Amino acid sequence: MGAFLHRHRGLTPYLLLAPGLLWLGIFFLIPLGFLGYESLQSGLFPNFEFTWEFSNFSDALSSYHEQLIRSFFYAGIATVACLLLAYPLAYWIAFKAGPWRNLFLLVIVAPFFVTYLVRTLAWLNILADQGPLVGFLRSIHVLGANEHLLSTTFAVVAGITYNFFPFMALPLYVSLEQIDSRLLEAAKDLYASSTKAFLRVTLPLSAPGIVAGTLLTFIPAAGDFINAALLGTPKQTMIGNVIQAKFLESLDYPTASALSFILMGAILVALLVYARVVGTEKLTG
Amino acid sequence: MSVQTPAVPLTRARRRTGIWSFVKRHALTAYALLAVGYLMLPIVVVILFSFNAPKGRFNYVWQGFTLKNWIHWDAVLGIRPAVITSLEVGLLATVIATAFGTLMAMAIVRHHFVGRSTTNLLVFLPMSTPEIVLGASLLTLFLNTTAVFQLGFWTIFIAHVMFIISFVVVTVKARLIGFDRHLEEAAMDLGANELVTFRKVTLPLIAPAMLAAALLGFALSIDDFVITYFNAGATQTFPIFVWGIARVAVPPQVNVVASAIFLVAIAMGLGNVFWQYRAAKRQRQGA
Amino acid sequence: MTDPRFNDPLTRRQLLRRAAVGGTVLTLPALLAACGGGSSASGTTAAGTGGGKPQLKDVLNFSNWELYIDTKKPTTLQQFTEKTGIKVNYYEDVNSNDQYFAKVQGPLSQGKGIGRDIFVATDNSRFPGLYVSQEWVQELDKDLMPNFANLVDAQASPPFDPDRKFSMPWLSGMDGIAWNEDLTGPVTTVTQLFEDPKLKGKVTVWTEMGDTLGLVILDNGDDPSKVTDDSFNRAIDRVKQAVDSGQIVRFTGNDYAQPLAKGDLAACFAWSGDVAQLIADNPKLHWGVPEKGGIIWTDNMLIPLGGDVPTASTYMNFVYDPKVSAKIAVETTYISAVKGVKDEAVKIDPDAAKNPLIFPDDDILAQLHQNDPAMLNNDDYVTKWQEVQGK
Repeated sequence: MGAFLHRHRGLTPYLLLAPGLLWLGIFFLIPLGFLGYESLQSGLFPNFEFTWEFSNFSDALSSYHEQLIRSFFYAGIATVACLLLAYPLAYWIAFKAGPWRNLFLLVIVAPFFVTYLVRTLAWLNILADQGPLVGFLRSIHVLGANEHLLSTTFAVVAGITYNFFPFMALPLYVSLEQIDSRLLEAAKDLYASSTKAFLRVTLPLSAPGIVAGTLLTFIPAAGDFINAALLGTPKQTMIGNVIQAKFLESLDYPTASALSFILMGAILVALLVYARVVGTEKLTG
Repeated sequence: MSVQTPAVPLTRARRRTGIWSFVKRHALTAYALLAVGYLMLPIVVVILFSFNAPKGRFNYVWQGFTLKNWIHWDAVLGIRPAVITSLEVGLLATVIATAFGTLMAMAIVRHHFVGRSTTNLLVFLPMSTPEIVLGASLLTLFLNTTAVFQLGFWTIFIAHVMFIISFVVVTVKARLIGFDRHLEEAAMDLGANELVTFRKVTLPLIAPAMLAAALLGFALSIDDFVITYFNAGATQTFPIFVWGIARVAVPPQVNVVASAIFLVAIAMGLGNVFWQYRAAKRQRQGA
Repeated sequence: MTDPRFNDPLTRRQLLRRAAVGGTVLTLPALLAACGGGSSASGTTAAGTGGGKPQLKDVLNFSNWELYIDTKKPTTLQQFTEKTGIKVNYYEDVNSNDQYFAKVQGPLSQGKGIGRDIFVATDNSRFPGLYVSQEWVQELDKDLMPNFANLVDAQASPPFDPDRKFSMPWLSGMDGIAWNEDLTGPVTTVTQLFEDPKLKGKVTVWTEMGDTLGLVILDNGDDPSKVTDDSFNRAIDRVKQAVDSGQIVRFTGNDYAQPLAKGDLAACFAWSGDVAQLIADNPKLHWGVPEKGGIIWTDNMLIPLGGDVPTASTYMNFVYDPKVSAKIAVETTYISAVKGVKDEAVKIDPDAAKNPLIFPDDDILAQLHQNDPAMLNNDDYVTKWQEVQGK
């Protein structure tokens, strides 16, 4: 078998790709095709007709660009927040946790085992106006007497940050974990301070993890709708809320599909920009 | 960048004493514990309220402590099959998606082939598609192929593998990009063929990344609501059950089940710590 | 024993035997999977209109909301099976009207069944009207429903199904205003809710257009069951104003319940069933129908295409026995639409029978109105409503 693979080396990537690609092809691309077909339809439910209605896209963009921009803004802030919060934790787990590391990996991911709704209700409890946190913040005058934490942009972004934290932490851990600690010792031997060693050795070597983490956080966060629905006001709605509403309440499948493609397209554009800034090798390896 | 191991053992830098260095040494650990505290905060509330004894059907106001919810955890009809289905789908889908995703990551990182950048982009698409359209369009596929696919456990499984693969690919890629190929080359120089090298050298080295990806995938699966709802037919997973019941009630048993899953996971982690400690001890004794 | 999840076709006898034995072990979903996709199992409509008594199926598939039926044994479902020999597969897979619709509109739009004989939809949403206008539901067989006469007069002619040809109420709830006496005095009008400065930022309304605008339309003195462009615009402008001024902080589903119970909200639009439960834990909460009138919403039983009309009608008839309906209403704490149910409820649970939120008396019922399906299905209105919510 090994010899077979060796002789047919050119086939190897395709063989490796085959199962995953096939799965995505059948269960993602084909449905995406349905979606594309729907996005070019016109008419009202249920009498849709395929009419190459490209105006669906321009109409949707002009009506909902505010929510689209807001989504990218919130997702961006949440991604940066996740990065700043998760990096030290991932670092600690990779380098200092020793035999405890798998436990802490579980701890990062375990909040997901508690369903989304139950988690958010717990946060609603914690951040409640009558709750301990707001009381504390008011007593140290960080919050005014009439200000609250819930139903604000802060609450929505904080919710997104909390929910996507593992998506940032785990890839960071993955690339930090494989850094050879002898490299750091060598740097120290060469009289680098620990800060310098971190900046010149660790940080660059963890770059693939940073890239992976930011992608895994930003991309799904941009399409999120639940945080805005439960923690925000009408001024915080994201593009995900619009798509949800168009799909389920307006039964406006053409617009909903067009908006989905617009979101996907916007994310891909952002990806291309990011790849240019970061250097494509980090994205593609 | 390869490291030349020096011929003499490394000398340790002299440990500095004093409060400041103590703080610096332990600052990171303190932060880590704080971060864990932040992650656990809502969980603590969830566990706490699993012991609540509300008079009404909602579980919002603390009334009093009781163990009844834990004893009669499946008193709420439908909760038990929902949990079992969630766990089964989660484990199965995670295993398959991690396997497929790892293979894809290896192909993308290590080989240059026609369609590589397209494949890269394709991997990001499911993550960027809103869940509701992902779920609904997949449902359209299933409805048009009812001879092959009937809504239920297996369609949930299919959907979950579909959206987990991308996350696995991106996570494992982060590991493979910095991977030191020399180890594999050394193995092959010593006579191992591709397959044996993969099994004995590569796989153990990327195992932590695969584990991390699997954890992420399992978390995604067990928490998914929208995509699952559209493709589940009559089968219920735990999130579907919770969202459905929330219109009318939030029974403490939901907290109990959620807490139990969480505690079992932690227990497994602790077991892992203990096992590693024992293994290290045995190694030290053997050496 | 074959694993039902692999969709092996089991014989009906094997299924029934396992179901009888398995109880909690064999889950209902697995049963459905074994039925091979379901639509054929209960699917074919029996030849009902021919001469002689129509053949009833031996299984009824019923989709409903969660926790929306009695659970104390013997349950009404068990009583039904004992009386008629028809087994009921009860599925709690309706978790929102719009998501359920999105799930079933595929097969229904192609004329195919969904593996159910009965499902429910709430008339404060556009969907019951849509199901009827699209002809995706079948007419009831009233010959098999002598208990039809027990339907309360107030529900005899709902706007979306004026002749009650396609639907029967399952349970209802009332739309009103809830307030927390620790934070405010009684809030009895929509005007007060939208304009009292003491309540600013501590008020929520529903995301459901029918519920929220229904109450506002009533407060304006208009008729919510016959909405015109004028009455719609008047109502929506008031909501928009209250949102812009910061009076209304959020649009909610039933997630107002926790903030209300905790004191984050001073007053809000609330459903009677929710508040009946919340009061048990926080007696400072109150609920009332607004002075200018309230809305009553009803979950209606409908027979989808592919469902068996005689079997479904037989079940609906059973549920319209006041004894049966009383048990369901008492245990779910929602409102029944069957005449004489209060007298039966007294025999089961006198306290519940006295609760006006579960058994409202006639003067409360007289203040309640129903939504106009034309408003709910008007796409312009829906778009304007979404705009107010930022969507």
